[in-house]
Amino acid sequence: MKRIAVRNLRLCTKDCLCLYVCPYGATDTEDSIIDASKCTGCGICADACPSGAISMVPEDYPPQQVKTDEVKNAIEKLAYSRTLAEAKARRAASESGKDGLRRLMKAIEGSSRLVAEDLMREGRYMLPQSSNALDLTSALLDDPPSKDFPEESAREILSRIRCNDRKESGGSYRCSVCFTEFTADEGETPICPMCHASGKDLETI
Amino acid sequence: MKYICSVCGYVYDEEAEKIPFASLPDDWVCPMCRAPKNLFVPEESEAREPADEPQEAEEYHDSRKLSPGVLAAIFSNLARGAEKQYRAKEAEAFTAIAAYFTRHSDSGDSSSPEAIRALLSDDLSRGYPDLRKKAAAAGDRGAARVLVWGEKVTRMASSLLERYEKEGEAFLAGTSVWLCTVCGFIYIGDNPPGICPVCKVPSWKFTRIE
Repeated sequence: MKRIAVRNLRLCTKDCLCLYVCPYGATDTEDSIIDASKCTGCGICADACPSGAISMVPEDYPPQQVKTDEVKNAIEKLAYSRTLAEAKARRAASESGKDGLRRLMKAIEGSSRLVAEDLMREGRYMLPQSSNALDLTSALLDDPPSKDFPEESAREILSRIRCNDRKESGGSYRCSVCFTEFTADEGETPICPMCHASGKDLETI
Repeated sequence: MKYICSVCGYVYDEEAEKIPFASLPDDWVCPMCRAPKNLFVPEESEAREPADEPQEAEEYHDSRKLSPGVLAAIFSNLARGAEKQYRAKEAEAFTAIAAYFTRHSDSGDSSSPEAIRALLSDDLSRGYPDLRKKAAAAGDRGAARVLVWGEKVTRMASSLLERYEKEGEAFLAGTSVWLCTVCGFIYIGDNPPGICPVCKVPSWKFTRIE
């Protein structure tokens, strides 16, 4: 499995040994982020770092455990209730004139979100690379719930993240928005290179 | 006889403490997590596990009907996932979608402390036991894990609301409210606990609610 080096800036103390040891210049960047296009995954920088700030992460993450329908339902029911409590606490905090109640409600808002996140992480949305996460994003982009939905952000996600648990067969596509024809490689999410359309806006040719 | 704190697992051993549990004052709280006395359970009753009964097959409901609130949690969690992988641009994009759904989330009719506590009580009496049963039946250890912290955190939040309903502003005057940023445990005190009584991370993972 191919790995690449990433640097944790919270741990980095700028000893810069990574700069010295990397044979490919991947650590020699202006923004402190290791250049993934140059990194070959040799791990020399991670071994050299005196702060333990560099980790080797897999390029492709393993798929998440499959969930039964019963577990999915039970998780989503709880997550629904917890996020309803979160929304109520947020409203109570903003409306409360009492300082103690306002702080307690803010804590319950934050706590409920953390619990709901943990639930949905287990409810099949753990990895940004999962087909669940990408299909959900794609479905929202195809049929935005309202006009102010941040479509640009959804397009950005779909163009930057490659799915880890579904093999796209690859092939040629025609965009039904701008009529551009293009090809996508196997394993790559097809996105129109001209107008960034995706999902049902593309037809295979 | 021993009594176990249902939030953090602290054991009150009557033999070692020399004071019967029942004689402790009503405002006595757990020395670890400050859970009230009524969240302690006698040791024996704790081991009681619901028996596995055959489950009726249940169909998965339509996931396209997820509420804006749940979608907000899914996307803020994906933002965390992207951040952990050092994908700053993707994290930003997920955060923007999460913020959109947070803005559109519905708080229903009442947002009183009583209404929120009713929701939490329902989770504790039905939601969590239901998930525990389903996770055990499916042999799903991940889902079983998620309950362990969530249930304790919810129990604490519910008991703090109950205390606020009884004592009002005096309960929180002149002291701080702390939130564990990993599991969501809420702690009331001048300083955060040394480690989180629920998920055991160090005190610097706590944030003070301003």
